[in-house]
Amino acid sequence: MNRRDFFKYGLGSAGVVVGGSIAGGTGDMDSVSQKSDFQHPWWVKQIKTPKLGIDEQIYSRFEARKNVFGSMVKYYGMENLRELNKRSREKTRKYYKEQKPGYRLEDRALADAAWVISRQGGLNRGTRSWTANFVRTPEERGVDKYRASPTEAAHLIKTAARYFGAATTGVAKLDPRHIHSKERGKTVSFETADEPYENDTNLVIPQKCQYAIAMTVLMPIDNIACSPTAISSAGSSIGYSRCEFLVAGLAEFIRGLGYTAIPSVNDLGSSVAIAVDAGLGELGRTNRLISPEFGPMVRLCKVLTDLPLALDKPIDFGLMEFCKVCRRCAESCPSGCISYEDEPSFKVKGEWNNPGHKAWFEDSPKCLAYWQESTSGCSNCIAVCPWTKKDKTMIHDMVKAASAKIPALDAFFNSMDKSFGYGRQKSAEKWWNTNHFEYGIDTTQGKE
Amino acid sequence: MKDTNGYWTFKIRKKPLYIWILRLAWVLWLVFWAEVALGSKAELETRAFFISLSVLFVSLFVGLMWWWIGLNKHKKQSK
Ligand code: SF4
Ligand code: SF4
Repeated sequence: MNRRDFFKYGLGSAGVVVGGSIAGGTGDMDSVSQKSDFQHPWWVKQIKTPKLGIDEQIYSRFEARKNVFGSMVKYYGMENLRELNKRSREKTRKYYKEQKPGYRLEDRALADAAWVISRQGGLNRGTRSWTANFVRTPEERGVDKYRASPTEAAHLIKTAARYFGAATTGVAKLDPRHIHSKERGKTVSFETADEPYENDTNLVIPQKCQYAIAMTVLMPIDNIACSPTAISSAGSSIGYSRCEFLVAGLAEFIRGLGYTAIPSVNDLGSSVAIAVDAGLGELGRTNRLISPEFGPMVRLCKVLTDLPLALDKPIDFGLMEFCKVCRRCAESCPSGCISYEDEPSFKVKGEWNNPGHKAWFEDSPKCLAYWQESTSGCSNCIAVCPWTKKDKTMIHDMVKAASAKIPALDAFFNSMDKSFGYGRQKSAEKWWNTNHFEYGIDTTQGKE
Repeated sequence: MKDTNGYWTFKIRKKPLYIWILRLAWVLWLVFWAEVALGSKAELETRAFFISLSVLFVSLFVGLMWWWIGLNKHKKQSK
């Protein structure tokens, strides 16, 4: 019996006496997955549709150029952006001179270097190519393509994804509305084609690609805890690089089985929406995915495929109720871009938000401007979230479980979390003298 | 504990069931905070480590004092 089981069957059952409702509604977690597949903790409920609903009349495909990077000039004006850039460069020089911890040459070199694998790919480029890079297809091997039931195939894919570095994997039926309508000035279209392809005007996804494999990749918590410094930036850049390796490897694996695979990180469509559909987490106040196991300490990526897979369901672990009383991300946000509203709503903040779904929408250009201002990016909202934990003591499991089942305790848990000092900025100087795990991540977390 | 005719004799004072339940709860409470303290240390969460260690020692101290006062009271009564 591992610690999780002990908590589930031991302390969990003690909780029935105390809390009454704790043991209720453990969900039908085993319906599609095999024993060795990753499963969410017992306090995570499966639901039919994501909790923050969609307005079917409005929700539609988003044009990638409207994203926050594309919206900056409109929001701030060219002149102000130039001024911001200038200030950022001056500050960077000043920090070098002062040898400010977290902003020195070695810190910045680390942050840049951690991008190295991520830079090998882009939308239908390099490691994210939509067709086989080098893997031999069953045809080339002179054998039939892989055939199995959707449940067996999902198990195979989840095992392979884990092998390539996924923390969690879920499968959703692809909702085409989550896919961008345009990317790089080309129309992204769905056609009856055998293979995905790109021409001068279109990026074509075969209609047969009806499955979206959503994956999370853990970011190193000790890096992100140093936010905002270059050490925390290194935490998110290595996350992107590991996503790149994961989607490239998994896509090649699927092609090697004889099926089509389209790997994607932040390009092509909303990884958050797909991950929510695939049951990897819920949408938090940050308008980003919060996973029950790792909080927001994850990067997301996806692979679209025609390999028939058993589907996962969206989940509910009481996050929405928690976010209503928490607001820690908003309080710690130096740019003031995260919403303080009591309730999520359909009201967007600007063109960078895709309308038609309920959320706490954020003023993203302010965030990006602060990244410039700080000279090193920022991850405060990830570092302070009470769902971000290292998971070395069972109190975190207990609190998460109790919060999922008894939302009335959320405010108490949040203030205890603050009092215990969680989410406080860690020293970037000390980071260099800590004995880290490989890639800075503890791969046993949440999966004992 | 007494040594009588080559045997060790342990004497356990009779106590109502609720006292034993309280003692068990106290031990579990101590184990819980010890686990939190060790876990927080592994997580490099200094403040959480010191708070949980303080709760652990205060609980240990209060429990032992309570037990010791009860023992003295019993000794006086039985004299
Ligand atoms: S990254 Fe920093 S600036 Fe951006 S939303 Fe999070 S806390 Fe705010
Ligand atoms: S910090 Fe609090 S409000 Fe923000 S996403 Fe995390 S739980 Fe929700």
